[in-house]
Amino acid sequence: MSELARILLVEDDPRDVELTLTALGEYNLANEVVVTRDGEKALDYLYCRGEFSARSQDNPAVMLLDLKLPKVNGLEVLQQIKSDERLKLIPVVVLTSSREEKDMVRSYKLGVNAYVVKPVDFHEFVNAIKELGVFWAVINEPPPGSVKKAP
Amino acid sequence: MTDRAEVSTGVGARLTLARWNIKSHGIRSAILRYGLSVVSVALGLGLSLTLQYYQFRDVELPVFDMSIALTTWYAGVGPSVLAIVLSTACFNYFFAEPIYSFAVSSSDLPYFFVFITWAVIVASFAAVRRRIEENLRQARDHLQVEVEQRKRREDEIRTLNKELVMRATELETSNNELESFAYSVSHDLRAPLRHVVGYSELLQKQASSLLDEKSRRYTRTILESAKRMGNLIDDLLAFSRIGRAETKNTLVSLDQLVKEVVAEIRLDTGGRDIVWKIHPLPVCYGDRSMLRLVIGNLLSNAVKFTRMRARAEIEIGCADGEDEVEVFVRDNGAGFDMQYVDKLFGVFQRLHLPEEFEGTGIGLATVRRIIHRHGGEVRAEAAVDQGATLYFSLPKVQDAAERTANTL
Repeated sequence: MSELARILLVEDDPRDVELTLTALGEYNLANEVVVTRDGEKALDYLYCRGEFSARSQDNPAVMLLDLKLPKVNGLEVLQQIKSDERLKLIPVVVLTSSREEKDMVRSYKLGVNAYVVKPVDFHEFVNAIKELGVFWAVINEPPPGSVKKAP
Repeated sequence: MTDRAEVSTGVGARLTLARWNIKSHGIRSAILRYGLSVVSVALGLGLSLTLQYYQFRDVELPVFDMSIALTTWYAGVGPSVLAIVLSTACFNYFFAEPIYSFAVSSSDLPYFFVFITWAVIVASFAAVRRRIEENLRQARDHLQVEVEQRKRREDEIRTLNKELVMRATELETSNNELESFAYSVSHDLRAPLRHVVGYSELLQKQASSLLDEKSRRYTRTILESAKRMGNLIDDLLAFSRIGRAETKNTLVSLDQLVKEVVAEIRLDTGGRDIVWKIHPLPVCYGDRSMLRLVIGNLLSNAVKFTRMRARAEIEIGCADGEDEVEVFVRDNGAGFDMQYVDKLFGVFQRLHLPEEFEGTGIGLATVRRIIHRHGGEVRAEAAVDQGATLYFSLPKVQDAAERTANTL
């Protein structure tokens, strides 16, 4: 895994992973991404346990989180992060297919930083991902303790 | 099942009443009643003879009166007459001169007259008392039956209530199922669609130089179809959400709504010549955002189907009915054949080809669903190429609250 990873992508669908990475690749952000395929792995990454026990302690600059995930779902991951003193500073962007008000309300109540519905249209999808990546990984100043931008 | 229960409770009620009557009135059988009459007169006679034996004088008449009274009280009018006859005979035989003979001396006649009159008075008092008692008993029986009926009705209400609670639970379950169904549709159906679109786009981008015109058209068609399906899914989800959403009813000014929607539509129809004729509209009672959707769908339909007119005319007005108002939206557009009017408000029903007018066929279905939830009706009038008029009715403000309460 890249030591420099500033974007943590939590997504179970391999095709969505590929499309997201393609979109981020257009801004040369693809190699800044760590992908975990379920909520359990994502928490492992954040807590540096299991297969991630060797990584540096820095938090990612942003986390792109799908809601429908195997084992531990997105909302549970979000709840865990926002209730942990060390992790609650990480900006979390929910990136989901669900336009259900229930999901949005719940996410915002848990303290999500942004909620993005994956557009069906590919252009819109690519644009949304690019803008997200650029904003959170480049424009936004991440909280202290995050992975630094490559000089 | 309920019938049988009714019959058995009816029988039960009657049995209890009968038992009650026997207990309170003692003697029902004729033999016993007339027997009582004979026995009480015999006892009276015995008592009188005993008293006479001990030298008490002239006590026999009150004693016989008592026997008669006793008989009347417990055995009714018939036995009391028998008791009077028997007492008179006994008095005559044992106590009136000449003793031990039924002959009557004329000096004793007043005795008999007084005795019989007295006996008749006592008997008639007793008869009146029995009549009153009879009435009271009837009233009580009546009350008892009423109580039984009320109890039965209460039981029925309780059963119905139980059924209602069960039905409500079932409804809630199916509603939850529907909700989770819509939820997974929104999640799981969109994802593969996004992939179809995404990979087709990538293919287009990667291989467009290698593909001939035909293959490029194929990929374009794949893309368009997938996008169309995306729109269908979105519309269908929105439609199902209307059925599930809670309504927040307030007073809504239709004038204001139309003004807002028209202003919004004008932004998108800058290049077109559209004449809006907007008549005054009433204030309605309903969910503002839903009614806005109704107006929005009807007006954007009118705009869409007048596209080929050099000068489109759209008229919005209302007709005042007895307890409802009917709002209409009239255009001079493509119209439709009235033969198919029944299909107009169905889900995914379209009366025009997609290359003529775009759309998913869910707009008017949404309109109908919302109007029904508000306790109103929708209808349409049109002719091919002569424009169309769509109507929706809403209850008037004063009884709107009541009617929506019934439909929701």
